[in-house]
Amino acid sequence: CTGMSRVYVMADKSTLLKVILLGDGGVGKSSLMNRYVSNKFDTHLFHTIGVEFLNKELEVDGRRVTLQIWDTAGQERFRSLRTPFYRGSDCCLLTFSVDDSQSFLNLNLWRKEFVYYADVKEPESFPFVILGNKIDVSGRQVAKEEAQRWCCENGGHPYFETSAKDATNIVEAFEEVARRVIASDDKQEPLLSTHTVELRRKSRSDPSCC
Amino acid sequence: MVHVYNCHPFASQHIVPTDQEPGLVCCGGDALFVVSAAGCKVEAYRMQGEDCPLICRFSTMGTVHRILYSQIGDYLVTIEEKNGSTYLRAYTNWRYQASERTRVGVRLLGHFLRVPSLCGAPKEQMEIIEMPLSEPPQCMACCALTGDLLVGCTRSLVVFGLKRQELGERLVVLDFEMLVVLHIHNWSPSDVALCAGYVALQTELEVLVVKLERMEKRHPPPEDCTPIPSPEPQSPHESDDFFMFPKHLELLGAESKDCGVSVTLEGTGAELGSSMALTYVLYRRFAPDFFRGCSSVHSAHSLHTLYTLSMLTCSLPLCAGNCEGGREPVCVFCFFSLPGAGYMYSLHNPVQLLSTYQYPEKTHEAALCDQFLYVITRNALQCFSVRCSAVAARAGDPYIDTTMKACPPATMEVCALRIQLFIGLRSLCHDGNHIVLITAVDSESKVETGSTTRRTICRKTSRSKQVCESGYGWNLYVITTVPTLQLYTEMVEYSRRYEQTLSHNSLHLLSEAHLLVRSSLLSLRGGEEGDRAQLQNAFRESCAQLGDCFSRLDRRDCHLALPYYKMSGLSVTEVIQRNVARSGDSTSVTDYGKGFLFFLKHSLYEETMEDLSEETANTVLDIFSQAEPAQLPHVVTSPFMVKADPACVLEHLEQLEVSGAPAVTLTLCKSAQALRLGNMQQYCQQMEQHSEMLQVFGFIEEPKLLFQGRGSSVTPTLFAQHLQHTQVGLLVAAMVALHENSKVKLEEADLFFQELCKDCVDRQSPYLLVDFWEALLVASSQDSIIQELLFRLASVYINRITRRDCTGITALKTAEDLINSCFHYGQPYPWVSILTHLSHCSVAPDNHQEDLHKLQSLLCGPTLDISSVLPLLEQLPDTDGAGVSVYVLCATRLGQLESSLERLLEHCPEAVIPYAHHQLHSHMLTLWWQKLFPELCKRARVPSEKGSVLLTALKETVKVVAMELSPLEFLELLPDDGSAHFFLPHLLECSLRHSQSHLTTHIMESC
Repeated sequence: CTGMSRVYVMADKSTLLKVILLGDGGVGKSSLMNRYVSNKFDTHLFHTIGVEFLNKELEVDGRRVTLQIWDTAGQERFRSLRTPFYRGSDCCLLTFSVDDSQSFLNLNLWRKEFVYYADVKEPESFPFVILGNKIDVSGRQVAKEEAQRWCCENGGHPYFETSAKDATNIVEAFEEVARRVIASDDKQEPLLSTHTVELRRKSRSDPSCC
Repeated sequence: MVHVYNCHPFASQHIVPTDQEPGLVCCGGDALFVVSAAGCKVEAYRMQGEDCPLICRFSTMGTVHRILYSQIGDYLVTIEEKNGSTYLRAYTNWRYQASERTRVGVRLLGHFLRVPSLCGAPKEQMEIIEMPLSEPPQCMACCALTGDLLVGCTRSLVVFGLKRQELGERLVVLDFEMLVVLHIHNWSPSDVALCAGYVALQTELEVLVVKLERMEKRHPPPEDCTPIPSPEPQSPHESDDFFMFPKHLELLGAESKDCGVSVTLEGTGAELGSSMALTYVLYRRFAPDFFRGCSSVHSAHSLHTLYTLSMLTCSLPLCAGNCEGGREPVCVFCFFSLPGAGYMYSLHNPVQLLSTYQYPEKTHEAALCDQFLYVITRNALQCFSVRCSAVAARAGDPYIDTTMKACPPATMEVCALRIQLFIGLRSLCHDGNHIVLITAVDSESKVETGSTTRRTICRKTSRSKQVCESGYGWNLYVITTVPTLQLYTEMVEYSRRYEQTLSHNSLHLLSEAHLLVRSSLLSLRGGEEGDRAQLQNAFRESCAQLGDCFSRLDRRDCHLALPYYKMSGLSVTEVIQRNVARSGDSTSVTDYGKGFLFFLKHSLYEETMEDLSEETANTVLDIFSQAEPAQLPHVVTSPFMVKADPACVLEHLEQLEVSGAPAVTLTLCKSAQALRLGNMQQYCQQMEQHSEMLQVFGFIEEPKLLFQGRGSSVTPTLFAQHLQHTQVGLLVAAMVALHENSKVKLEEADLFFQELCKDCVDRQSPYLLVDFWEALLVASSQDSIIQELLFRLASVYINRITRRDCTGITALKTAEDLINSCFHYGQPYPWVSILTHLSHCSVAPDNHQEDLHKLQSLLCGPTLDISSVLPLLEQLPDTDGAGVSVYVLCATRLGQLESSLERLLEHCPEAVIPYAHHQLHSHMLTLWWQKLFPELCKRARVPSEKGSVLLTALKETVKVVAMELSPLEFLELLPDDGSAHFFLPHLLECSLRHSQSHLTTHIMESC
């Protein structure tokens, strides 16, 4: 008993934005997502296994978009489970914990891993957003300036200091993500001006899905 | 011609409360999935109930281009696009997505983590499985039996196997495994279908079906299995100089291999895939329809629907594997449709076109289930009948299409049960008892439809109102179909309207109704016993109605009344009542249809049925007197007519006799009835009318006069019992004649006589039975039974001689009769009579002597296998002449002459010399001097009462030996202590004879 039907009215435009959260295990990626989508915080959250996502609808500058936020497992042993899903991302959120300098140092590795597996053709112009989480915790190891310098040197990405526990800066960070993606799309619009139907299409040449 | 009946298969319709305009829909498992026109959100609704409540709502990961639901595994599969890439994804555990705030897990196929420490407690969350492909996916299909997934790409097809793992009571984790890849050259499928290993694919005007089968690993792969880099197959579409118009083409079974579409298999290393083989099943190509004025081949005249469907049966043994309910599919069907016509093929042996659907107008889409085919045109939902259950009923049932069971033919014309008007139909899907329709009215269609639309609005006011009220110009409907039984009842009532005038239409409708119930029974799953009982009642009722139809209609296939009545479970009495009641108002002969008479005759002659009551039996007599009087002698001898009034029977028979019907059987029937009445005078009068010889022929004509039943339930009639006491010769002759005419088997005849003589002393082999065996042995020419009879008779004779039976019953045939008339009884050897006469049993009764004679005669005959008799001899004493004669005969026949001589010397020396004269000649001649002479010499020396007999024998022996041997040899033979005067004369004679012969030889030579 299977039934199938065909499209007769095609969607004219997709407003679904895929946003991926990357960073070392334990920096608070899942907590950030939960805080943003459900406005909840749980101190005893399990490790994420593999990849999970949640949708959040919001309006930015008068445009309705759906953010599809992808939470990934930060631990090395789950690498093969998460990397296949980098492709098709519209934005990458690189996350570290301000009380863990190693997690900050690893941002470079995360960026490289994303660019490689997402098959990003122009990494310089790809929208990254950097989050320094856990600012509520005492014993800070990474200074704000240090983090801002890194963002500046690596392509001028926006940087947000957040606390999922206290709900600090969360909404702002994700709205910035949405703005960045829309801006990055608009920038490319003139290049594809003839393809009016495919406004959101990126300038990727490889359509293969493997 | 397409029959169009105005039945009512659709019960009610509901509007699904979607907020956004529906883009894609699919349904299954009682759920309806609607993809919003924007393409990124799926809403699931429950289809049961009036208001179609929302189950849950979830987002997809990209824009959905195709969506499909599989009931096995309860998963959705989509082809989605995101940022220019196409993805194939399966959504599992979607029912957990009741709250949109739940996280959704995503993984690649094969990446399911089985380690409990990693998973912790299984999460109740929706999981998306992404299946990477080397080419963008274009279309897909799920196997309704296994949940396996088939994906069509531009140049290849990929089959994914569904794997399930139970994690606790409610939670099942699904995964997929790539099983096999099919590479297609120069062919890009626009749609695919998968069912029980059958893979169907279609392009605009072509359909190809192949079958994937698991192979034994030992066999080398067939040639299809290895990709051959052969020259590209010649496609009729391509030519440098010409454009070739493709012609219509249909290739069935093995010949479809020559269709020009090359499909090669590539294993994936998965356990199953590595041992797959591919066979071509069906290829169909349509020529582009240029004549209808369609400027473009595309869309206007291309195939729009492809379906495969399987039907299960309960009659097969359970199979392993993950088939639903553990039942093997018996039949697989493939349906595909052009806008103007649809075609249904059965893919089981043989592959054949079952039905062609000629649509009254151009269709957009079709949906197939095991009871109906639904199609939509722009303005109507049409419901057609299908023939799947007719094929399924025939698969694996050896009794179908015999006198036991029947089913309407699979090739019977299909019909349209209903054409329901709708406005602006766009899309159609089907699940269980629901049909889902999307309608949309656009300005273009409003202009085009013109008068049609107006007419529709007039008739369907309420519906058009709904369209207006919704205000968007689109609607999503769930149509509930009526229960099978309700539609069945309507069709049966409808058929009654045709009954008087158009009988064949009435039959057609009843057949449709019958197939409907059949398919409903076939598709019943467990746990619906109430439904099953109701359906089975309807099924039996339907069989009864079809039985009525065939029994009344004057058709070539009127004999089908028999199997249908049998399947109906009606008793013969009930069937008779139904048919008599129908023709009750009229007395015309023709009122009893051929089919009814066939049923009645078959039941009376061949079947086991209830004994008819006196009233019914007399009715049957009336029926046959009117319709087929020649059958009366056979009818009245039917065992089920025992309660018929004999006087009434006689009356009918006499009427028949007056009309000059053939006499002997009729007379015998009358005798039998006179016997029942106890009118012995009439009985004798009838029996004297014909010679016994003719009467035997009469019995051959109607064996039931003598016995009834078959096999182990043979019972002699009253008539036979009477003959046993009055004309036993006739009885035996009749049974022999029946046997020789294959009207009765030997075992049945045995039973017959045993039953007749069940009060006799010897129940095992009563005299009458032995008479029969002897008579049969005289008459029969069947080698197989002759040995059997000889053995039985030898056994009986030996038994009787041993027991010294003296019942005083005289056998029908004496030994002398048998020797004279039967080749198998030989003339007893002369020495045997000496033994018999000298035996001490001279006081034995005559029949003992007769039995001994018969046995001796058999032993002297050419046919009996002596060695087979030996074990029987154990019980026979060898102390008297009779016993000795039998032992010696057997030994002699087996060539054991020396021991025979010894035995004779021991028990009856008087017979030795006659025996020796008869048996010792040619190469046995030497026994005279090598065995007999020394034995006699030895025994003669010992004084005994037989001394003189032995001496006489010795003298005779010496005489013979002297004749045969040379003097020298003779001399050597003489015992040292022999008295010379005893042997001297013989020696003298011997030498004289010898010299004489020498002299003669010399004279001859000198001459």
